[in-house]
Amino acid sequence: MKMIITIIIRLTLSCLVAGTIMGMTFVFTNKAKKANEFAREERVVYSLLGFSADNPIPASMGLYEVFRYLVIEAGQQSIGYLVPVGGHGEGGGFSFVRISLDGAFVDKTDVDISHEKVRERGDRDAAVQAAMGPDRQARFVDQTVIVTDEGKRTAYLLSGKFPGFKTNIAVMMALDPAYSMIGLEIMEHEEDPGLGAEIEQDYFKNQFKYKPFDKLKTIDVVKEPMPADYVKALEGGIDETAAVDIMKQYKDKDIYALTGATISSKSVSSGVKGMVKKFAYRLDILDQVLEQQHIGVPF
Amino acid sequence: MATDKTNFQLVANGILKENPIFKLALSMCPAVGISTTVINGLMLGTAVLFVQVFSSVTISLLKNFIHPRIRIPTYTLTIATWVTVIDLSLAAYFPAAYAKMGIFVKIIVAFAIITMRLEMFACKEKVSSSFWDGLGMGLGFLVGMVAIGFVRELLGSGAILGYDVLGFKPLLFFILPSAGFFVVGLMMGFFNWIEASYSARKKR
Repeated sequence: MKMIITIIIRLTLSCLVAGTIMGMTFVFTNKAKKANEFAREERVVYSLLGFSADNPIPASMGLYEVFRYLVIEAGQQSIGYLVPVGGHGEGGGFSFVRISLDGAFVDKTDVDISHEKVRERGDRDAAVQAAMGPDRQARFVDQTVIVTDEGKRTAYLLSGKFPGFKTNIAVMMALDPAYSMIGLEIMEHEEDPGLGAEIEQDYFKNQFKYKPFDKLKTIDVVKEPMPADYVKALEGGIDETAAVDIMKQYKDKDIYALTGATISSKSVSSGVKGMVKKFAYRLDILDQVLEQQHIGVPF
Repeated sequence: MATDKTNFQLVANGILKENPIFKLALSMCPAVGISTTVINGLMLGTAVLFVQVFSSVTISLLKNFIHPRIRIPTYTLTIATWVTVIDLSLAAYFPAAYAKMGIFVKIIVAFAIITMRLEMFACKEKVSSSFWDGLGMGLGFLVGMVAIGFVRELLGSGAILGYDVLGFKPLLFFILPSAGFFVVGLMMGFFNWIEASYSARKKR
């Protein structure tokens, strides 16, 4: 009996010490990790929009973040959008626009938060909750970036997650104003190396490029070998304009599934399909409401 | 019962006489699975080197406090702690390398070679000896991984460190996992043959 107790005490102590060491490392490294992730996201945004560090985004362009919240009030649900107000470059504040589930305008509340703080999830959630008051509960759902150039919309950036073969697959994609695909990037996944993990390869993810909205709405996978010229164009081994031409030839075709990873391929195509469809539906409603209520937004 | 070997002998022992891969034949899964290129071998070898040295020193420091009945859980806990520390540091400061081998770093917890060295050496010896022994074993593993990676990368993809040196791919077979067994086996035989002929000449 005595030995059991000493063993229990010693093991507990060792676990506590080990836990403390791991926790301290986590605290020390977390900041650098977050910075890395943020830098990566920014790089992906740049590359999806066709810019790089040498070719920065011009001042006439604006990137506006729209945050979607789910508001629960006495069992009633409504959707809330945190949108910037005012014209481009004026740096106006933020408003929280609530829309009921059937698409009707509910109310508009001004939210007191700066443009720097709005990117920090904790600060943003607190500000939205403060604006909503204690009776309502606001839960963050997702965010979208609307890209404008000289006041006209040029692209939407959306990020999201959907279930893959093993765990969730996180993606980021750029759509043009007609909801056609500009580019898709796989941000995070845990698919099998060599099989499902191939979804992050150019020859798979670039298949989504230039697909029009009508095709994305019904996109599926086909289990056929990919034509050789298409593979070359997707991997970027040939001249860029020629590659774009070839990709556009295949724009109304379904996605060629990866060999040995049909489920992963299907998850990505149906996940992308769902994201695009829902986004287009929601944005149309939001635009309608903003126009009816004469809420001035920079996008 | 302290070891009578000098520090240099301890390090050399890990690299040559008791090389984890070619002599002890421990931790064969990573040797077979990951050593497809020199860079992979180098990165995993370095991670193992750090985990081995840190764990050996920790266990050697704490050897008088470890209850003999729970020494294996304690070893596993120690290794897991250091692997987590290295995993988090790699993720934070070397994101590019981590993106490639993050999944393999976590597997180091289960590497037989580390537990075996803690059981055989670190729990009985001085801290300084354990440090040199851990360094030797880690280096031995690193050298083994790089050597296998060199052969497989050269024969499988015709390149060294990602640079195309041959201009063609001799045998794609060598970068497949099953070829790892062949390469390890052949190299094991090669090193044994060198050692046998060396000691035979010494006797004469």
